[in-house]
Amino acid sequence: MKVSEAIKSRVTVRQFLDKPVPLEIVRELLEISKRAPSGGNLQPWNVQVLTGDPLKALVDDVDRKLRSGVSETPEYHVYPPELVDPYKTRRRIVGQALYELIGVPREDTAGKLKQLSRNFRFFDAPVGLFFILHKQMEIGQYADVGMFMQNIMLLAKEYGLDTCPQEAWARWPVTLRQHLVLQDHEMMFCGMALGYRDQDAVINRLVTERETFENFVTLRGF
Amino acid sequence: MDIEEAIRSRRSIRAFTDQPVEREKIERVLELAQRAPSGTNTQPWHTYVCAGAARDDIAREVLKLVEKNAARKYEEYEYYPASWKEVHQNRRRGVGWSLYGLLGIEKGDRERTAKQSKRNFNFFDAPVGLFFTVDSYLMRGSWFDAGLYMQTVMLAARGEGLHTCPQAAWITFQEPIFRILGIPDDQVLVSGMAMGYEDTTAIENTLVSEREDVANVTHFIGFDEN
Repeated sequence: MKVSEAIKSRVTVRQFLDKPVPLEIVRELLEISKRAPSGGNLQPWNVQVLTGDPLKALVDDVDRKLRSGVSETPEYHVYPPELVDPYKTRRRIVGQALYELIGVPREDTAGKLKQLSRNFRFFDAPVGLFFILHKQMEIGQYADVGMFMQNIMLLAKEYGLDTCPQEAWARWPVTLRQHLVLQDHEMMFCGMALGYRDQDAVINRLVTERETFENFVTLRGF
Repeated sequence: MDIEEAIRSRRSIRAFTDQPVEREKIERVLELAQRAPSGTNTQPWHTYVCAGAARDDIAREVLKLVEKNAARKYEEYEYYPASWKEVHQNRRRGVGWSLYGLLGIEKGDRERTAKQSKRNFNFFDAPVGLFFTVDSYLMRGSWFDAGLYMQTVMLAARGEGLHTCPQAAWITFQEPIFRILGIPDDQVLVSGMAMGYEDTTAIENTLVSEREDVANVTHFIGFDEN
C-alpha cells in the first residue's frame, strides 16, 4: 500500500471482527515500526500485547467494575481540565458525529456511557496493545511514543488491519497493574485495539473532520 | 512509495542538497499529515514552515546565540528528565558515538563535536525548516498527538521523495524562532524539522541508528507460542 493511501485510509475503527491476528503479524508490525525516531534515540516505549484469555480476563474485570460503579483515578491528565477553543469544539463535534451516526440522542447519557465502555472491550478486537513508559519521562518522550504508534497504525493498513488508539484506558491504572506486567517505575500511557474491521458496522463509517491547511499552517519565505 | 518502504527508509538525514523543495509538495505532505489521529480529534498542532529569507534569518540568529553559548533553559516544561536511567543514557550515547565515529570525530574532540552539533541550526543545509507547536496549556496527551502528526509528516515526505530530520535541538534557542515566525506566546515549541533532498554523497547519511530488539521491549501475553 502506498504511504499516501495508508495515511488517507487510516481511521479510528470502533467495531472489529472476531478473527484472530497471528502473532507473526504483530511481531512484524512492531519490528518495522521500531524504526520510528526518538530524541537521542531513547526509544522510550515498551509494549504489552494481549490476546486470548488474558485479554478476556482484563475486559471482563473492567466490565464487572463498570457494572458495580467502581472507578479509578488516572495517573495522568490526558487533557487540561478546561479545554478551550478550537479544541473544545473539535472534541464536541467528533462526539456528536459519533453518537448521531449510531443513533444515540444527545440527552441519552446512559447510551453514551455504554458506547464509551466499548473502549474497554477493545471494540471486540482480538488484540490489545498497551504502551508503557518509564515514569521519569517528560513530555518530549510522549511525542516520541506518538511517532512510534503512528508507524504501527499506518503499517497495519498494509496487512489489512485496522486500529483504534485509546487514551481511555488511562482510566483504569489500578486494574491494569493487576493484569499487566508493570514495574513500579512504569506507567501505562495509551492502549490500542488491533484487528480486522467489521465492514458492516455503521460506527466504522465515521470519517472525522480536519482543519483546513490555512488554519494550522503558517508559511514564511516562500 | 509503499508504507513499509517509507517507514524503513525514513531516517534522520544530516546533510541535504541545496535543491529547493516545491511548495506543492510541502502542501501535499501537510494536507495528508492532517489525517493523523489525535485525542477526540483535537488536532492540537500548529505548523510553521519557513524557506528563503525567513529560514536564513532563523539560522543566522540562532547560530549567533549558539556562538554566545546563550542556550536558554526550556522553561515551559521539562523536555527531558533531569537525570537518565542507564538504558536510556546508553542509547543516547550510542547514537552520538555512531555519528561522530562515521565522521571520524574522536571522543573528546570538542571543537569538531560542537561544529557538527551546530549544523542542526542551519537545518543541515536543508532549504526548508518546519517548527511544530502546541498551545502551552495542553498536556502530555497533546504532545503525544503532535508525535503522531510529525511521524505522518515524515512518512508522507518520503512519499514525495523528500527526507527529514526531526530536531529537538532548537528548543533551547526559541526567541528568534518565535519572533521571526510570529508564533504567539501561548504556544510552546515541540520540535523543529529539516526537510529537503538527501545529499547521497554525505557519509553522515549512512548512519542507521540502532533499535532495541522487539523482544526486549515487548511482552506478548495470551498468544499461543508464548
